[in-house]
This record gives sequence, structure tokens and C-alpha cells, in this order.
Amino acid sequence: MTIVSDLFPFFDEPDTAAIEPELDVPRRDTMPRAESVVRERPSASPKKSITVSELSAEIRSVLEGEIGERVVEGEVSNSRLWNTGHLYFTLKDAGAQIRAVMFRSVVRQLKFKPEDGLHVVARGRVSVYEPKGEYQLVCDQMEPRGLGALQLAFEQVKKRLQAEGLFDAVRKRPLPSLPRKIGVVTSLDGAAVRDILKVLARRYPHAHIVIRPSRVQGDEAAADLVRSMQMIGKVPGVDVVIVGRGGGSIEDLWAFNDERLARAIAACPVPVISAVGHEVDFTIADFVADLRAPTPSAAAEMVVSRREELCSRIDRHADRLRDVARAALDRRRASVHRLTSARGLASFPARLAMRSRHVSELTHTLARTARASLQRRDRQQHALRQRLDALAPGRRMQALLMAVSSATERLLAAAERTRHRHDAGFRALAGRLENLSPLGVLARGYALCWDDERTCLVRESTAVAPGDRVRVTLAKGEIGCVVDRTSES
Amino acid sequence: MADTIKDFESAAAELAAIVKTMEEGDLSLEKSLELYERGVALSRYCHTKLEEAERRIEILTDRGDLKPAPAGLVPDTER
Repeated sequence: MTIVSDLFPFFDEPDTAAIEPELDVPRRDTMPRAESVVRERPSASPKKSITVSELSAEIRSVLEGEIGERVVEGEVSNSRLWNTGHLYFTLKDAGAQIRAVMFRSVVRQLKFKPEDGLHVVARGRVSVYEPKGEYQLVCDQMEPRGLGALQLAFEQVKKRLQAEGLFDAVRKRPLPSLPRKIGVVTSLDGAAVRDILKVLARRYPHAHIVIRPSRVQGDEAAADLVRSMQMIGKVPGVDVVIVGRGGGSIEDLWAFNDERLARAIAACPVPVISAVGHEVDFTIADFVADLRAPTPSAAAEMVVSRREELCSRIDRHADRLRDVARAALDRRRASVHRLTSARGLASFPARLAMRSRHVSELTHTLARTARASLQRRDRQQHALRQRLDALAPGRRMQALLMAVSSATERLLAAAERTRHRHDAGFRALAGRLENLSPLGVLARGYALCWDDERTCLVRESTAVAPGDRVRVTLAKGEIGCVVDRTSES
Repeated sequence: MADTIKDFESAAAELAAIVKTMEEGDLSLEKSLELYERGVALSRYCHTKLEEAERRIEILTDRGDLKPAPAGLVPDTER
């Protein structure tokens, strides 16, 4: 009953298109009559009237009886999937069209979606919808023309998801370099889980792995994988998921082409690596995953390689850090060395010593000069005393002696003062080394030649002529000279 | 020093930044040494973090619980 009602929803909502219960009854009743009508058509009396229902029933039985099951080729158009799960569409070619329906149970087994414009080969039987006076094909099988059904389905899902942007590169998330937990969605019985665990045991001994067992082939696999993806995405600490299985036929891998799984992978809160079959197998899951691994082992390698890369990056940085710190120290050590060994600083002590010798030489000269001057005055005084002693006897002599002695004392005091002054002068001189140097020069045997008036120094032989008088200052005393001859150099 | 490090990622990033600064900048000796010390602490922290996780294999059950994986699943290399 309900099946019949679903057959004819073209103009009514499927649920309200229910056909009267008694329709089934007259149908059986009219069967033999319809047969006879058909047979007897040429001789039937046109005068005897029948009801519309009776005529429709006759048409129905003729169509169903005469045509029955057929295989029809045509293009799908006006296809529409109702909430009930039944699919209604029109099959057409260049010259004709026929309405068609496919029940939910058949639709569910279709791998592909019968979209408008698709060329198909459909098998079904012709039936009549009496309330509308229409005939239609009830399909129980459909294959796309040309492509295999699976290949077509694959292309369809791929196209649809691509149009939605689910494969876009901008959606791809980078893998975590240091995953806290690695999620794995696969079958516990397959080779994939062992391959993954083997790689991780070898290259990432500290890994924390959470496996969500799931069927990976068969009718229930897609739904199971979807649920598993949803579950593993919620486990705290899981921040990368590997979903996959080992190799197999295209039918074995089919669940990974399921649109629902593709959407579950896209919705996973953490990056997903797909690892389905062998290198050559591409599934929808591969397109939507953040990263596609050619095999389950390769997926595990990808997870660890990010970590190993990070380890070596940190090692490299630590090395560079040490090098750069060492270089900074070396550079400074070198610059300190450069400064201390530079000419300016290095020659300083020598220059100091030189100056100091110069000073002591000058000091020596000064002291000698002062001493000589004192001795000279001493000798003059002594000579004077002798002359006095010889010259003036008596009281006058006494008075004179007194005067002389006091004069001598004053003289000595003056000499002492002079010497003090000279000492002080010497100290001042010591501080004005450069100014005093002529004295030093004279002491070393050089002489100064003046003109006769002693107003300017004679620096060139051309400044004087033979017969001119000149004066020559020596370290000690002065000489008056007459120029004998001159020469240029 | 270690309590001023937030997490692994930021430690690794800071280490990289320090190396870059030291390689590029004309820093005072004191500053270089200070950065160097910090850098050493960071790389030590990173290594500790890298090794501190503990190997574990768990199964997520239908009810959403975690239980240890069956012994048969663990690879032989574990020995």
C-alpha cells in the first residue's frame, strides 16, 4: 500500500498521494476482464459505458502485462530526492521522455548520485498511476553509461566537495611539531596499525598513542569511521590524527570515499593525516585531509619527522648560541690585546724614561752652575780678606775686619738665598723642560754666536764678513771673536 | 630562570630570536653573556620537554574510555 502511494508523487506530496485502498481490489478483479477487453477490443460494443477507473485499470493491466520489465537507456532530468528517501526523475532522449521513480531501498544501494544530465542505463517495469492518468518506470537498478558506478561516484563527491572549498590549500593545517598524543583511527586487525606502531616505537619512543578501532571496509565502515573521527577529535591532548588502512581493492577502500567521512575529517579540531592503501590509491579522504600519506607507515614518519626536525633545530640553535657567545668574547679579548700592544701605549714607558733622564741631566747641570757661582764668590771674598789683612792693621783694621765679617756674613746669607732661589728656579725649570733645553745644549758643548751688540744670533755665515766682531756664548762664559773668514756651508 | 619560560613552542621561538640577535647585533659583553645564559636555559628546557613524555599506547573504547592496548598490538621492538 505505502509502496503504491510512493510511486506517484509527481503532483502531490508523497504522503498525501495515498491511493484509495479499494484500488488494489478492483485491480485484481479487473485483471481477467481487462484481458478479455483487450482481446475483444475490435468487437466491443462502444455503446456500453464503463467508468474512468475501469478504463484506467485496463490500461494499467495492458501496460504492465504487455511491457513488463525493460532496460532503458536515457538521460536523467528533473531528478529530485524526497524526504522519504525515494527518488523521482525523468528519463529522456531527443524525442521522448518518461517519468521514473526509484525506491529508497534501491537508492541507498546506489554508489553514485543520478544527477541531471547523467546518461544512465536503468532497469525497471512500467506502471500506471491511475489518479493522474500517468505511466512511469519503476527502476530497480541503474548504472551510469561509460564510467563505472564507483568511479562516477568518486568524481561526483570530489567535484562537490571541491566546489565547497573543502580541498583548498588554505584549509590545510600544519602538523604539531611536538604532539602530546597521537590519535590513530583504523582497524585493530589490519596491517596499518602495526606499521604505524612499529615506526613510532623506533623513531619516537616517548610517543603517547590513542587508537580508536574502527571498521575500515564494508557497508558500515563509513559510518563507523565518521563516529570514530568525531570521538578521537574530542580526546584531550590528541593533537594530530592518522586515519587510514592498508591496501585493498577499490571496493575495500570505498569507505574512504564517503562524503560523510570527508566532512568528519574536515570538521576534526586537530590536523588529520590520511593514510589509505598504497601509494597509488587516492581517496576523497586524501583530498580533504590536512596531509596525505602514501601509506600508514609514511603517516607515522611524517609525525615523527616534524619532531626530529624540531630537535635538530634546537640543537643547531644551541650550537650557534655557543659559537656566537664565544666569538663575542674572542673579539673583545683581541681588541684588548690590540690596544695594549699599540705603539702609543707600548712606547710610553720608554718615552717616560727618556724624559726623566733629560730632567736629571738638567738638574745636574743646574746644581753645578750654582755651586760654581758660590765658589767664585767665596774665592773673591777670600782674596779681599787677604788684601785687607795685608793692608790695614790696628783698630781701623779691627773695624774693617768687623765690617768685612758682617759683609761676609751678609754675603754668605745672600749667597745662601741665591742658592735657595736657584734651587727654586731649578725646580721651576724642571717643570719647563723644553724652555731650558738651550742650557742643556750649551752644556753638551754647543755654543751660541751673537753679533757684536749681542742683539741677535748669527745663524748663517753670510750674516757676517771677515773683520766683524762676534760674541760666542758657551756653557760657561763668553768669548769675543773676530771673524777671520766665512764659508757658505 | 626556568619559571619565566611559558611553553615549549615559545621557548623554541625565543631561543631562535636570541641566536639571531646575538649574530646580528653589536651587543655589549654583559648583554651577550646575559643572552647566552638565557639561551642555554632555553635549550635545556626544550630538551627536557622533548624527552619527558612517557610511552603509552591506549585504546579509545565505544564508550569513550581509554584503556591500555592489548599486549599483542605492541611491536616487538619494544623489548
